[in-house]
Amino acid sequence: MQASRARLFKEYKEVQREKVADPDIQLVCDDSNIFKWTALIKGPSETPYEGGVFQLAFSVPEQYPLQPPQVRFLTKIFHPNVHFKTGEICLDILKNAWSPAWTLQSVCRAIIALMAHPEPDSPLNCDSGNLLRSGDVRGFQSMAKMYTRLAAMPKKGRIFST
Amino acid sequence: MDSEDDMHDANDVDSYEEDYYSGDAMYSDDDDDAGYEFLDNASDDSDDVSVSRQQKNYTILKEDDIRQRQEDDITRISSVLSISRDSACMLLRRFNWNVSNVHEAWFANEDAVRKAVGMLDNININPPKAGELPCGICFESYTLDSVSTAACGHPFCNTCWAAYISTSINDGPGCLTLRCPIPSCGAAVGVDMVNMLTSDEDKKKYRRYLLRSYIEDNRKTKWCPAPGCDCAIEFDLGSGSYDVTCYCSYSFCWNCTEEAHRPVDCETVSKWIMKNSAESENMNWILANSKPCPKCKRPIEKNQGCMHMTCNPPCKYEFCWLCLGQWSDHGERTGGFYACNRYESAKQEGAYDESERRREMAKNSLERYTHYYERWATNQSSRQKALADLLQMQTVHLAKLSERQCQPETQLKFILEAWLQIVECRRVLKWTYAYGYYLPEQEVAKRQFFEYLQGEAEAGLERLHQCAEKELHTYIDGNASQEEFNNFRTKLAGLTTVTRNYFENLVRALENGLSDVDSHGASSKTSTSKHAAGTSKSKSGKGKGPTKGGGSTRADDLTGWSCDQCTYMNPKNATSCQMCHTSR
Repeated sequence: MQASRARLFKEYKEVQREKVADPDIQLVCDDSNIFKWTALIKGPSETPYEGGVFQLAFSVPEQYPLQPPQVRFLTKIFHPNVHFKTGEICLDILKNAWSPAWTLQSVCRAIIALMAHPEPDSPLNCDSGNLLRSGDVRGFQSMAKMYTRLAAMPKKGRIFST
Repeated sequence: MDSEDDMHDANDVDSYEEDYYSGDAMYSDDDDDAGYEFLDNASDDSDDVSVSRQQKNYTILKEDDIRQRQEDDITRISSVLSISRDSACMLLRRFNWNVSNVHEAWFANEDAVRKAVGMLDNININPPKAGELPCGICFESYTLDSVSTAACGHPFCNTCWAAYISTSINDGPGCLTLRCPIPSCGAAVGVDMVNMLTSDEDKKKYRRYLLRSYIEDNRKTKWCPAPGCDCAIEFDLGSGSYDVTCYCSYSFCWNCTEEAHRPVDCETVSKWIMKNSAESENMNWILANSKPCPKCKRPIEKNQGCMHMTCNPPCKYEFCWLCLGQWSDHGERTGGFYACNRYESAKQEGAYDESERRREMAKNSLERYTHYYERWATNQSSRQKALADLLQMQTVHLAKLSERQCQPETQLKFILEAWLQIVECRRVLKWTYAYGYYLPEQEVAKRQFFEYLQGEAEAGLERLHQCAEKELHTYIDGNASQEEFNNFRTKLAGLTTVTRNYFENLVRALENGLSDVDSHGASSKTSTSKHAAGTSKSKSGKGKGPTKGGGSTRADDLTGWSCDQCTYMNPKNATSCQMCHTSR
């Protein structure tokens, strides 16, 4: 407990320092609980998620960093490796390939990388995965783009307005 | 690969054998006893039948033997390849403890092997001579003496190392392939670091996993499944019967690790065991919520995530949860992932209705099943009782009887032999009921032949059991004369031999898949059907024996003659019984 708290506090200070360095990630610690974090990440450019801002929820276990944090998308996203309803993420480093050398910051980076390079071979979102598997990149992109606009952009970007 | 076998033979441990069908091993030292002529005959006869079966085809390894072998293998690799014992150990583990495979792979492509195992060629990131280093896990700075590194040089404080290794050890045998915590690094963390950095308890667990890996990863060795037994059995693959007996006296089938079930095959046994537990809540839950890993068969519960399953180390098999097919086979061909085509098509083909229908049928035939199950279970408990009686006999009664009859215990060995025979026969008989359950109804001739053999064997066993259980007590408690006791000796020893022969017959017939039926032809069919009718009665009347006196009438109208002593059906031209050698 003490070790995880100390480590999280280190990360907290590191985040304050790095905020400027990585403008794509904004990690915020819950005011009352250091084991609860949220992050805002920018959709990577040249992907259907570009222009969107996605919110992630972190739940850090007491055994952290020996055990991985639990992360899920709060913002709806159309992506093969993210559960469409729950936001659960299928990413090896969050499961069996976790290493204590990872940080919350690097997990965010890994998730951004996953957004840019989906793994349709291990789909949590079947429709999305099958679109990519069948080679319908355009279909996939337009779906993903639509959900990005619907859920991850400020209201004025909505397709129904104007 | 063969060279490895030869090496192992060098430190062979004497294997201890109990083959009840071999006969000669047990009786050969009893020549001095008057009551045994007819036993000796029998053992001569059984010699040529079973000598091929009792060749030693397995070796029992105690924990010390296993460690010794492991150490020897590590020493061999480390001296031949000039690498540390630590690295040698990791290499061997990677190649399932197969020394020649390690050699082969190493000399074919050393770099690839090094990379796969995580043996870095000492490319240390030059550590500073003094000052402090930041730990890569807790991010605190430490002086050099409280920081450790694997071969790669990535620094972590000793506390974090201990926690990291401990977490991995508590996660299971995957700790044997532990790597440096830096994700991109891959330098192996071997037994040396574990010993240096972790608690005694964790070290013990790690050593246990290492020992287990030596047995479990090796294709030729398996643990004895008896509770509390630490021995392992090395088996010469492709050499006859799978039945082995451990030092702990537990007999089991090396192939499926269920208890010994000769002559019934492993598939039947597993079906039967599955069936027996199908009613239990536990099994229902496993069936409803888990699937066996297609490779290692451990039940797997899926609690979250995608359909891409990866079995726990050391199996690590990747498969699709829906169709249980290999994951790498998936892709466009199966029409995408979530809608796994094979699942759909299986449903369309009615494979699911099929299993549903089978379940329904099983319910309908519950009565039939109960019949066989009852007999299977009764023999099981009867065997347990016999085992307890045997122990009681060895520890208490034998000494008592020896006093009463003024005979040395060595001359009372025939009693123990009778009990050993009973225990073994109960085991065989038990499994023949599983066999009987799965013998197709429509194979009438085979069924009749089987039931005949089973009935005869069972009747013989009941007589033997009765004699050993009830009659013996009159000699333990009462004051019988020397002569009476000698008669009893002859009777019990005779029954033991006869029963053994019956069971040997039964075992042989079942192992041949009852193929004799085809060659026997029509004439014997009528005879077997008669016997079957007779024996089905004798089954329920415990200990009564087969229809007595029926022997003479049978002998007249059929091709053979029935022995008066043991009721075995002999061919017409035989002058003495092929079973018990009584003359006609």
